[in-house]
Amino acid sequence: MIASVAFRNFKALRSAQLVLAPFNLIIGPNGSGKTSLIQALLRLRSLARLPLREPVPEGERLPEAAEISFRFNPPHDGLEAVLACVDEASCDLLQLTPLPRGEGVDDWPGLRTRLLTLRSYVLDHLAITSTGAGRSNGNKLASHGGNLAAVLAVRRELAPGYYTALCEELTELFPEFSDLVLLPELGSFGLRLRDGGDIVPADNLSQGTLYTLALLAIAHDPTPPAIVCIEELDRGLHPRLLRGVRDVLYRLSYPSDYGHDRAPVQVIATTHSPLMLDLFRDHPEEVVIADKVGRAATFARLADRADLADLLTEGASLGDLWYSGILGGVPEEP
Amino acid sequence: MSSPASRPLRLALLGESMVDEAALSILVEAVLGAPFVRVQPNLRARGWPSVLQILPAIARHLHFNTNADGLIVLVDADDTEIHTAAHEAPGYFHPRCRMCQLRSSFRRATKTLPPAHGRTHMLRAIGLAVPAAEAWYLCGLDESVGEAAWLAAREEGRTPYTRRELKARVYGTERPNLPQAVAFATAAARRHAVDLRRLEYDFPGFACLADDLRNWGKVNG
Ligand SMILES: [Zn+2]
Repeated sequence: MIASVAFRNFKALRSAQLVLAPFNLIIGPNGSGKTSLIQALLRLRSLARLPLREPVPEGERLPEAAEISFRFNPPHDGLEAVLACVDEASCDLLQLTPLPRGEGVDDWPGLRTRLLTLRSYVLDHLAITSTGAGRSNGNKLASHGGNLAAVLAVRRELAPGYYTALCEELTELFPEFSDLVLLPELGSFGLRLRDGGDIVPADNLSQGTLYTLALLAIAHDPTPPAIVCIEELDRGLHPRLLRGVRDVLYRLSYPSDYGHDRAPVQVIATTHSPLMLDLFRDHPEEVVIADKVGRAATFARLADRADLADLLTEGASLGDLWYSGILGGVPEEP
Repeated sequence: MSSPASRPLRLALLGESMVDEAALSILVEAVLGAPFVRVQPNLRARGWPSVLQILPAIARHLHFNTNADGLIVLVDADDTEIHTAAHEAPGYFHPRCRMCQLRSSFRRATKTLPPAHGRTHMLRAIGLAVPAAEAWYLCGLDESVGEAAWLAAREEGRTPYTRRELKARVYGTERPNLPQAVAFATAAARRHAVDLRRLEYDFPGFACLADDLRNWGKVNG
């Protein structure tokens, strides 16, 4: 979907480029630009809703103004979208530039349709367990997951096959439960204990269980978005569940590997967990290290680190290498 | 404690993933020629070097807090030294061979422990998958995969296949999910269980594990 993003003067990203893969795990200290990347994507989606603006003449733009350039994979690799700011207050100019080669130069409507489906999640267990979200807003999971109960109810009614697959994967990941139980009269849900059959209501479930259920609702969406951003993917999860959660998202990014006949979903996830990073030892091209030196943040692909294989040969885990600081992506110290 | 000869062995398995442990369990039963009882089935290591660091604590815990007869460990060699016949010489220790490292660590961790649960010491068996357990699953299906081929290529400075490629060949994807991976790995293990000779011949890192297991009978005579 999105092939690359280049930043100029956008928050801490003074001059930073990033090539995106189908699946991207972003690690780095707080304030290193992980969230800024996702904010930039959200801004692209917001501006894609509006009519395109005529470019501002070069002389009228501030030389230090923020600018974010997006390039795309085929079938839209002939277009560049530039998100530019006229001044600090009005960052609302989306300009399209045809590139010398590539396809889709005339298909902004097609690209726009895909961009508008982008979803970003910062899941919040309190929002998920709050009751009363109406059935009417159950078509797409909200950013904090607050309408999860409504989404599950709509899914069961309109896409029962997807709902069943979701339930099966949930009980594989959490074998202590035998079933997902919807409680529409309460605008809520619960999980049935395999042992004894009691229902544990949503507000008694662990955060990790709730977040995993929300991720499954995203993964078992019959019409998934083109891009999904998930902040703090590991949050609340037992270390041994990380692999299962990664696999759920891999299926979104590489559907044909799992026999699914649909377009891949580009996944951009952030984590602070060295144990999550350990799972990517064989796929350093999927790991992005966000770094911050002084006030300037940058991005680097782990796979571009020339001596990575040599570092791993010495036997250390990827998570330990990251923690040690030699990969970058750690907080600065006084 | 009853003699292990008169009842199923009680064994703990330590691997790097539930996939490898599922296959290992089938292979161990095939070598022993009898079912065994799994002790502490939730045991797991987080890959190298975690498994080396955690082994002394696990050995101690199993010895004092469980009635396990033995511990079986399986690790991937990745790009490290292969455990060769030369390493079997008395007193030999190769500092970059994971088999030598694990054997030494287990010996140091257990040699001074007093008897517990009616046994003087726990048995141990260690396997080294070169370069990863997926190679064992391909044994007999892919002629290019084996320790000799791996070693010959490494001596020429080549990597004949990566872990990623092995995964793709075994599972049909570089990113198998757990149920997929367990299904493939256990099917391969059941195929080997019928006749273990090919796996032992092509993968001395498995033969070491099998020898350890067969020697248990002699130890307990
Ligand atoms: Zn050795």
